[in-house]
Amino acid sequence: MEELMEILEELRPDVDFENETALITDGILDSFDIVALVGELNDAFDIEIKPNNLVPDNFNSAKAMLELIEELQDE
Amino acid sequence: METSVLCRLNRTARTYADKVMFKDNDRALTFAEFDAYTRSIGTYLSGKVPAGSPVIVMSGRHTLTPACFLGVVRAGCFYAPMDGDMPVTRLNQIIGVIKSQFMLVDRAHLATAETLDFDGEIIVMEDILDTPADEKLLSARESTLVCTSPLYVIFTSGSTGVPKGVITSHQSLMCYIDSVCKVLDINDTDIMGNQSPLDYIAAVRDIYFPISRGASTFIIPKNEFAVPAMLFDTLNREKITALCWSVAGVELPAKLGAFDMSKPEYLKKLCFSGSVMPCKYLKIWQENLPDVLYVNQYGPTEATASCTYYVVNEKVDDDTVLPIGKPYDNYRILLLNEDNTATENGAVGEICVSGPVLALGYYGNKEVTEKSFIQNPLNPNYRELIYKTGDLGSFNADGILEFHGRKDRQIKHLGHRIELGEIEETAKKLSGVTDCCSLYNKPKEQLYLFYTGDATSKEIVLYFRQNMPAFMVPRKLINLEQLPTLPNGKTDMQTLKTYFK
Repeated sequence: MEELMEILEELRPDVDFENETALITDGILDSFDIVALVGELNDAFDIEIKPNNLVPDNFNSAKAMLELIEELQDE
Repeated sequence: METSVLCRLNRTARTYADKVMFKDNDRALTFAEFDAYTRSIGTYLSGKVPAGSPVIVMSGRHTLTPACFLGVVRAGCFYAPMDGDMPVTRLNQIIGVIKSQFMLVDRAHLATAETLDFDGEIIVMEDILDTPADEKLLSARESTLVCTSPLYVIFTSGSTGVPKGVITSHQSLMCYIDSVCKVLDINDTDIMGNQSPLDYIAAVRDIYFPISRGASTFIIPKNEFAVPAMLFDTLNREKITALCWSVAGVELPAKLGAFDMSKPEYLKKLCFSGSVMPCKYLKIWQENLPDVLYVNQYGPTEATASCTYYVVNEKVDDDTVLPIGKPYDNYRILLLNEDNTATENGAVGEICVSGPVLALGYYGNKEVTEKSFIQNPLNPNYRELIYKTGDLGSFNADGILEFHGRKDRQIKHLGHRIELGEIEETAKKLSGVTDCCSLYNKPKEQLYLFYTGDATSKEIVLYFRQNMPAFMVPRKLINLEQLPTLPNGKTDMQTLKTYFK
């Protein structure tokens, strides 16, 4: 979680990732943030986020992102 | 000859009365409904605003926004659009330049409007939509317009730290729309998928193709661009046939792998502009949609969004570099050397434009206007203005224009035009920043800020987030003891570029 929070903090220091639960649905993260984020997560966690993973449910909160990362690491 | 865009709206509103004109996720407006709204707004404004005045429209991504634009025009005025979601500092800068006495605002942005440095009258658009139209008054206002009257003022980055308002006339807009419609064969069977923010120059096609040709436009919600599957579902549900998107917008679905899941089944035409297209992404579009017409467009806001176009007939490879092509109808291109002579034999020169598409200048800024729009130095015989784009180009053996980048420090990032000088001027307003230099890592699409002083990178990013549009926030911040310099004392940018990862 720590590593993920660091990446998110660097990407958007203005966002409260501890508490936000509608990052995509409310448009807090935009499409360009997502492109940058997907690249960084793939590199940092040695995973491959696929287009069908790119749904609001997987990116609406830091917790959801962590679950996605763990799921992809298990594959 | 048409005197204003109202001639077009009057015609299409009659011909296509019951057809959908603009649609968003919440509502659809037919041509008749749209036209009625413009008449109500126009009547209301005519009772308050003198003809020929600027009116700010601060709004979001929905169908009422274009209705307000045209409502302002019906009052014989011109509109200055502002995206209500931009930071307050930016909005105040625009207000400071345009100095309008009236602002139309949607209810969602009313609270923001009330906090701005604006001492004129704020009018909520939803409240005036049922104003009974006064046809006599509207017709009097329409007759004040001539084809060289200003239609809108759109703001773009300025290197001194204040945005520049580019004024476009009815004539320029109509010339461009007719030329691009011819190339893309836009007609009343087309349904556009709008990507561009409505306050931005690239949206003029999505707004004026319906008004000019009876096409329809669907305004795609912004967050769907972050979810590729949703985006293509929307294009298919709305049966979108034509897209005029920024290069950054076209790259997105290809980058995020959207074609692995579905593809836009109804798409026939794709025009992209705003920056150089990396062909590895265009290739993905071509492989999945081989029958679509692909058009690469080039041109600045100052020449009504465009200059030249190139129809991509070949199958591109990863390393293909697309030419920017040949001039649209009513555009004339010349290439000039530094000493204002014409280039010869395919040499590189500054791309200059002339024709009825040139902007009327920068609003309230005579000095910069006179520097950028000058008498054609090759023409000693009569008045002919040209706009010096600051872009470099050359003609190949077939007379097709090729692009060679900028002669100054303007960049294109995420589809937006940015002066690096403006990033630096903004950073310097922070007391913890002593000196700084902004550079662009183009392959990685990252905006860098190198700075000296005791500000933390978080403080700087927060300051930018609060004061500047999102696309102008630096992604990489590097704190240095001092900036490297060249023997002449200027910042050594080449050394700084070694920090790019």
